[in-house]
Amino acid sequence: MISRLRALWNNVFRKSQLDEELDEELSVYAELVAAEKVRSGVAPDEAQRDARREMGGVEQIRQSVRDIRVGIWLEKFAQDIRYGIRTLKKNPAFSLVAIATLALGIGANTAMFSLLDQIVLRLLPVKQPERLVKVTVAGNNYGNTYGDDRISWPMFEDLRDRNEAFSDMFCRFPTTVTVGYEDRAAQVMAELVSGSYFPVLGVGAALGRTIAPDDDEVPDSQPVVVLSYSFWRNYFSADRTIVGRTIALNSYKMTVIGVAQPGFDGVELGNPAQMFVPIMMKTEMTPRSDGLKDRRRRLAWVAAYGRLKPGMNAQQAQSSLQPLLYSILEMEVQQPDFRQFGDEDRRQFLRNRIEVLPGSDNWLRHSMRQPLWILIALTGAVLLLACANLANLMLARATVREREIALRLAIGAARGRIVRQLMVETLLLSSAGAALGLALAFLADRLLVNMYLPANEAADFVVSPIPDWRVLAFTLGMLLVTSLAFGLMPALRGSRTEIAPSLQERSGTGSLGSVPLRRIFVVVQVALSLLLLVGAGLFVRTLRNLRDQGPGFPTDHLLGFTVDPSLSGYSDQQTESFFERLNVNLREMPGVSSVGLSTMPPLRGYGWQNAIIGENSGERQEEQPVLDEVGPKYFSTLGIPILEGREFTDRDRGPQKYAVINRSFARRYLPAGDPIGRRFGLVDDQNPAAQPDIVVVGVIPDTKYRDLREMPPPQAYFPYFQGAKFRFMNVYLRTHGEPRQLENQLRERMRRFDPHVPIVDLQAMDEQIDWSLRTERLVASLSAVFGGLALLLAVIGLYGVMAYTVTRRTREIGIRIALGATPPKIIEMVMREASVMVLTGLSVGAVLALALANLIRNQLFGLNAHDPWTLLGASLSLAIAAGFAGFIPALRASSVNPTNALRRE
Amino acid sequence: MAGTQSDLLQGTLDVLILKALALQELHGMGISRRIAQMTNAAFDVKAGSLFPALHRMEQAGWLTSGWGQAETNRRAKFYSLTKKGKKQLQTETKRWARISLAMAAALEISQEAL
Repeated sequence: MISRLRALWNNVFRKSQLDEELDEELSVYAELVAAEKVRSGVAPDEAQRDARREMGGVEQIRQSVRDIRVGIWLEKFAQDIRYGIRTLKKNPAFSLVAIATLALGIGANTAMFSLLDQIVLRLLPVKQPERLVKVTVAGNNYGNTYGDDRISWPMFEDLRDRNEAFSDMFCRFPTTVTVGYEDRAAQVMAELVSGSYFPVLGVGAALGRTIAPDDDEVPDSQPVVVLSYSFWRNYFSADRTIVGRTIALNSYKMTVIGVAQPGFDGVELGNPAQMFVPIMMKTEMTPRSDGLKDRRRRLAWVAAYGRLKPGMNAQQAQSSLQPLLYSILEMEVQQPDFRQFGDEDRRQFLRNRIEVLPGSDNWLRHSMRQPLWILIALTGAVLLLACANLANLMLARATVREREIALRLAIGAARGRIVRQLMVETLLLSSAGAALGLALAFLADRLLVNMYLPANEAADFVVSPIPDWRVLAFTLGMLLVTSLAFGLMPALRGSRTEIAPSLQERSGTGSLGSVPLRRIFVVVQVALSLLLLVGAGLFVRTLRNLRDQGPGFPTDHLLGFTVDPSLSGYSDQQTESFFERLNVNLREMPGVSSVGLSTMPPLRGYGWQNAIIGENSGERQEEQPVLDEVGPKYFSTLGIPILEGREFTDRDRGPQKYAVINRSFARRYLPAGDPIGRRFGLVDDQNPAAQPDIVVVGVIPDTKYRDLREMPPPQAYFPYFQGAKFRFMNVYLRTHGEPRQLENQLRERMRRFDPHVPIVDLQAMDEQIDWSLRTERLVASLSAVFGGLALLLAVIGLYGVMAYTVTRRTREIGIRIALGATPPKIIEMVMREASVMVLTGLSVGAVLALALANLIRNQLFGLNAHDPWTLLGASLSLAIAAGFAGFIPALRASSVNPTNALRRE
Repeated sequence: MAGTQSDLLQGTLDVLILKALALQELHGMGISRRIAQMTNAAFDVKAGSLFPALHRMEQAGWLTSGWGQAETNRRAKFYSLTKKGKKQLQTETKRWARISLAMAAALEISQEAL
């Protein structure tokens, strides 16, 4: 094969060298003919001409030699392939299992690695992404913040103008805006960006221009917008004339100046930006919340990024920025808005640290890192299993063919030829497996991406299902090496072993060299399967625990959506009246039994937190509860019972502030005695003299707030129509029938109610919960599939070895039966042998499972990583399946006819 | 002439080349001259048929080649028989003996019949 490959290489790629050699050969030929003629008396010139003429066209000769070389090669190759296909067809069970094994190994690994690579490993599609860093301040900001990674606008300016670490910095603020164009309105994700954003990222425009540093000068002065390439294609149908036109953002007129380069969707994977707006337009884009013009230092809202200067690494940048941060903090702590905090708080504040993080990191990456690595580890185990299975199959086949091969060698077949044929067979299997595996990976990735991201986001979100060539090369290489190593064994051994013993089929106990090896493979398979089954059990039970426990209220027959009239240019008054009218309107909708409004969407990971003042002293409480503003009948709509007191009604809008709290809140902040009628207050940074002025009117049980995994936190709810703080609203409808059936009616009703306010995130609560459990579902379903396949492979492996052993020992078994062994005795004998392998595998697997379980502990819910029931269940199912696999050959052994068995000799 | 000859008897050329190389290794032109000598100049093998045949036979494993020095002091490719080639020559010799006997007999009969 090697020489064949070299010949092909020579033929195809090194044509010129072969041609040169041929040319030389031909010219010597001509010269020799001419010399001959000269010797016979012809003049040298004439002799040479004659010789050339006699020889004919050199090019023609060259071509026919070339044809012969390639033709012969192809013919032999085609012959090998035909023969290979014929042999594989003769043994379809073997071929199918081998191909399926290969496909599984290749498919699972490439699919998972593609996901991991694109979600977790790959850097942003910008200029020198490895030099891009995110700059955050770790510690308490003593004010309001949009997230751990945000800083205030003045802080950003200070860092930008006074740092020595970066060649330049930019900042961004993602926010939803309502875009109106012609008669359509939609809510999309916009990125407010500083003028340095595009230049620092090195991202250009596909059309028009991007936002430039000049756009950064004066607040409110630059009503321009750059569209993302995919949004331009999806929403504006790639209309090239859009540049220069006006669209409405939050009913504010903005001019489209360009379209960003293809493939660039902002710097946060999984949260693609559809448009980019100069950060100077903050006031217009986020009505009633500023931070830019008021230059508040206690409001952290921008995410800051920097491009490292040449020769500077993240570590050095961090050290060089820390003194700068300290000087900024020292200045901030002197400002009036810090006066309300005590000395301890000031000291704490001055200990805040700068952090320089990789610029490509983001929330999705962060949350997916561990689950994806776990899945990669699982697929790695699947790959090992596939290799073990393949080795086992190949060995089984090799031992079966040993006789055939010995025979062929004896009658004079060249060993090279046999090796070549085995290799062609292996290559055939591998390419079939690889093709199938790639198809599998492609489908799996499409499925996973759709499962992980909702349909509209999945369309924009580019996780390509095309596998990475490195993974493909790795998995293919590993399987190829395995199958070649074990596939070639008989041919290689054929030359070493004596031919005669193989030909004589007198095999007492069938002590063929490969059987111990095959047993080891079975043990490895059983151990790995157990590992995968235990993992699958833990993840599936985690998912079930999360579902069974639920959020603490019934989630069926609940339909929710979000609206934000303030993004359509509505004033505070108009917004409140909008919600009031909406509440009444939807209550009358057929099929709806009640309506609940809530500013915070439960179970979506959001949380509004604020420090509170205790009832007696008015002192500030360290631990912050989570808060929400809800409309009348919110609790009864969600099915949350009122344990004490009452829920909010339409009448709760007077000057007296009320609250409904949950049990944990009562326990934590209002201990001892009935909480109804007692008071607490909210800390207000603008008003240090806040009082405990909120009266508790009701108590609800503990329900989950951010997600299903959390322990229900202390919660307090305020009536929305009592001086609301927020302008967006999550609307929940308790429906009579299936919630999704109301979808079209609801959309139509909302369009008639107000065509200018788009509704977003329309979802049944059950769907939302499924969505919130997407990582758990991903891990549970994949690990279950892998576990099942692993079980199957292990069982096939065990069956193969046992069936083979029984066949080899037919004579011995015949003798035993002839000497009086009963069928149960024979079955027991065979089963004992199988049990040894299975039990060894199970113990090795159990030790591995216990040792590795801690790695996945924080992904589990409601059970211990060393959960004995899961381990027991997995071992039992494996043992039972293995029992069947061993029993079939055992049964066959027990029914051996001694006369026939002995006559086989 | 060479073309029609090889068309006429596919395999003839191979046997002749094998036979030509039976005693010693030769370069292309040497083989051509040796064949002419062996057949009393009945076969004049031209380069256009010789070289494709040599390469085909080399691929089949009957011949090997190596570089050596020709009479004109230039580098030339010399061909020699492999073990397999020698075996092939034996087989072919026997086959040709049978064929030529059969052919001779057939032609004699037809002449008598005339």
